[in-house]
Amino acid sequence: MSFLNALGGWGWAAIAAVPPLIVLLYFLKLRRRPVQVPSTYLWKKALEDMHVNSLWQRLRNNLLMFLQILTVIIIGLACLRPGCEGVALEGNRFIFLVDKSASMSATDVEQGTRLDEAKRQIETMIKRMKPEDSAMLIAFSNQAEVIQSYTKSKSLLQQKLKAIEPTQRSTNIEEALVAASGLANPGRTLTEDGYQQLATGKEATLMIYSDGGFPNVDNFSMGNLKPEYHAIGSFDVPVNVGITAFSINDDPNVSEKREAFAQLRNASTTDQTVDLTLYVEDVLFDAQKSIRIPAGRTSGVSFPLTGLFESLAKATSIRLEIDTKDALAQDNTAFAVVNPPRKARLLIVTPGNDYFRLAVETDSIQRMAAIEFQNRDYLKNPEYGRKSALGEYDLVIYDQCQPETMPNCNTMFVGNSPPGADWKLGEKQYPTPIVDYLRTHPLLNSLQLTSLLILEGRKIEGPSGTVSLLDSTYGSIMAIGPRGGFQDLVMSFGMSELTESGEVQVNTDWPSKLSFPLFIQNVVVGLGGGARFLSGENVVPGQMARLRPPPVVTKVSVTAPTKQVTEVARDKNNNILYSQTESSGVYVVDPREFSTPESPERQLFAVNLFDQRETDIAVREALDIGFEQITAKTDVLPAVSEYWKWIVGLALLVLMLEWYIYNRRVLI
Amino acid sequence: MSSNSPEMLLSPQMLAQLERLELVSRKIFRGRMKGERRSRRKGQSVEFADYRNYVPGDDLRFLDWNLYARLDKFFLKLFLEEEDLHFYSLVDCSASMSFGEPTKLFYAKQLAAALGYIGLVRADRVKIEPLGSELARQSPVLRGRASLWRLLQYVNSFPANANLSLEQSLKSFCLRNTGKGIVVLITDLMDKNGYDQALRYLIAQDLDIYLIHVLSPVEIEPDLAGDLRLIDSEDSDVAEISVSQRLIDRYRATLATFIESAREFCSRRGIVYMMTSTDRPVDRLVSRYLRQRGLVK
Repeated sequence: MSFLNALGGWGWAAIAAVPPLIVLLYFLKLRRRPVQVPSTYLWKKALEDMHVNSLWQRLRNNLLMFLQILTVIIIGLACLRPGCEGVALEGNRFIFLVDKSASMSATDVEQGTRLDEAKRQIETMIKRMKPEDSAMLIAFSNQAEVIQSYTKSKSLLQQKLKAIEPTQRSTNIEEALVAASGLANPGRTLTEDGYQQLATGKEATLMIYSDGGFPNVDNFSMGNLKPEYHAIGSFDVPVNVGITAFSINDDPNVSEKREAFAQLRNASTTDQTVDLTLYVEDVLFDAQKSIRIPAGRTSGVSFPLTGLFESLAKATSIRLEIDTKDALAQDNTAFAVVNPPRKARLLIVTPGNDYFRLAVETDSIQRMAAIEFQNRDYLKNPEYGRKSALGEYDLVIYDQCQPETMPNCNTMFVGNSPPGADWKLGEKQYPTPIVDYLRTHPLLNSLQLTSLLILEGRKIEGPSGTVSLLDSTYGSIMAIGPRGGFQDLVMSFGMSELTESGEVQVNTDWPSKLSFPLFIQNVVVGLGGGARFLSGENVVPGQMARLRPPPVVTKVSVTAPTKQVTEVARDKNNNILYSQTESSGVYVVDPREFSTPESPERQLFAVNLFDQRETDIAVREALDIGFEQITAKTDVLPAVSEYWKWIVGLALLVLMLEWYIYNRRVLI
Repeated sequence: MSSNSPEMLLSPQMLAQLERLELVSRKIFRGRMKGERRSRRKGQSVEFADYRNYVPGDDLRFLDWNLYARLDKFFLKLFLEEEDLHFYSLVDCSASMSFGEPTKLFYAKQLAAALGYIGLVRADRVKIEPLGSELARQSPVLRGRASLWRLLQYVNSFPANANLSLEQSLKSFCLRNTGKGIVVLITDLMDKNGYDQALRYLIAQDLDIYLIHVLSPVEIEPDLAGDLRLIDSEDSDVAEISVSQRLIDRYRATLATFIESAREFCSRRGIVYMMTSTDRPVDRLVSRYLRQRGLVK
């Protein structure tokens, strides 16, 4: 029990003067109200029995006076502000930074998870705040969220604190630090007189409640912030083995190499042995027992999936689980998906150019795409008009020809440009030496083009957003540009040119090189969506997932592992983006609206954290932020719980009792 | 009709009710005049009492000639004498009686007038005296129904400021009135010198005594609060009290003891004691309670 004196000397003197005053008033009250009665005979007899003539006797019987004195004493006690042993917080402004990343779900604390423990500690801190203090609450994972801006209301803070839920995201404190320093370190602006401070900074205590599982922050200055790091969790490294990678190797060419590969990390200080189980569509498919992972190391495990894909007719989810219990449950499960292959629909309009015919006859392209060859006359066919308008093709290659209107799909133009003013081709130039090409572009991936010989070419100018893929001395000769949600690849040089005499003249030696079929394959995959088994890229919780249903689909519904269903439509950039990827697991994408009777199959995608930093749940003893090293505080000081409100309530109660007794004259 | 007019004392309905009643004495007294009551004495009336032998000098009118014819002996017929009854009503007029609503004095006057009227109707000798007042010496002796108005007027004129003690007043009464009869003492017994000595004077007179103890409701259940200085209305004596439940309880206990001791004192000495509160209507008191006690029938 401790006391916080709320009154000064004069205040106490005033309070101390009240009880004697009450007694005095009671003595003064001896000037009693005269009342005439028939006879004092019986009263005197009654008084004699009671012996009330003695002064003290009279006072002793005066319950009202004692109640009044008691009230004053209780109020005096309330002014002492008694409370539980506790230390009020120093400072006036506090910022509570709560880590709600995946690692905060570890259970190496006394009760519940680390986040629960952090919330408990913050609640104590909020209770320790003085009434005039204000605080703000920021929760962060890989992004920061201001849960409550500066307020003096403790109840509001506590209420908002309770609402913080754990996430399955990774950790990055930078954004939270920036949000926290907003008021403490206001920005400066450059004026004619040099740097001007926009506002004076207000000092604040920054309390970070985290396990320290985030990268060091280099470019941050605390300024007016006084950081405190409250490490949540045990400094004895808890036992945790997590899956830090899980993927399906889906090389269609080497079917015997199809396998599920997982990377396991042992984040503890002792060697660990775990059991793994692999489920396909929630049915046990394979298991491995007693896999030994050395302390602090990572090791890989693979499960052969031979025979699984051949019969695969629909999208399949695959789940890998570590059966051994440890401190963090989230990284013990990993998900992967396999979507069945879908052939790209390709139309090649060519005046009879054999190079394409040869190039697309490779096994892999044949597996990936259904290819239709037509001559230029087909462009006038109504069937072409219908199919191209409905988007039944994924890619149309126009070899030395030009449609009247652009189809609703990706296109590739060879030796010509799309109709309209967006694309412009310059005059024919000769020769056309290759200066540079964009090696990093997926279409030119792993191609060697420097030795390419091209006779005639034309300079390409495309619409805004056009990327030049191949540059000659006079400019770009191959470029890819956007058109709504589609992409147009334009090559200004043909493979062969018809001479004036009608002979076919070879324009480039590219078709004879190995890079040509590879290029065509890249085009089929990249522009045509020519698919392999779509194991899909992994999506991290909280990350935007880009869904790739067939082009005809305009709207899909996504079912999250939490069974929550969301409808997503194509945006104006023709993308279908899904943002509610908070929990890890398998998400089901169902096309909702069909433009054609061919209904595309449902697709799956997996969300996994796969963050080694979250798996390493050891608590850091010090944080490095900017140039400061902040060592962890682990002592939790109890909150001052003040009782003065209760005591004032008690005083009020006594006063009410006194009033009741006075009015009812019950047992004085 | 103002509250102190004589008509207020007895209402016509009450008068009608009272006419049927009769004062009863537990003792048979000698009256002074002929009345409507049988006396211990033999005398002239229509009611036969006994025979006795004729002795010379007896009034020949009372000889039973029929017996003489049969037995040839003289027998004299004796008849019961019918006499009047002495009825005294003593009203305590001390200052303490002027409390309550209605005042105890008014209540006492009503009661005295009611009993007096019963006596008047039955041709009794009625005398109502204000105790402790100078007026007591001039109290008239009333007889007959026609005296009702005088009775009411007289009773109504009783002052409320008598300053003689109960003992002195009763002593004075006993010296002035030696006749036997019924005496009804209406008082609140609030006399600091006590009532026992005063009552002994009455007892010595061999009267048929009724004591009607009148208290007001505020005396029975005091309605006081706070710290008070109580001033006695008679002797201005002061009692300082702080009203508390304990004190109230103690007062009640004291009052109960006081009443009980008065009752016991009276019953030991053949006095009929009756305590009444002023909120009990006089007609009910007379027609029910006093009937039970045998004062009226």
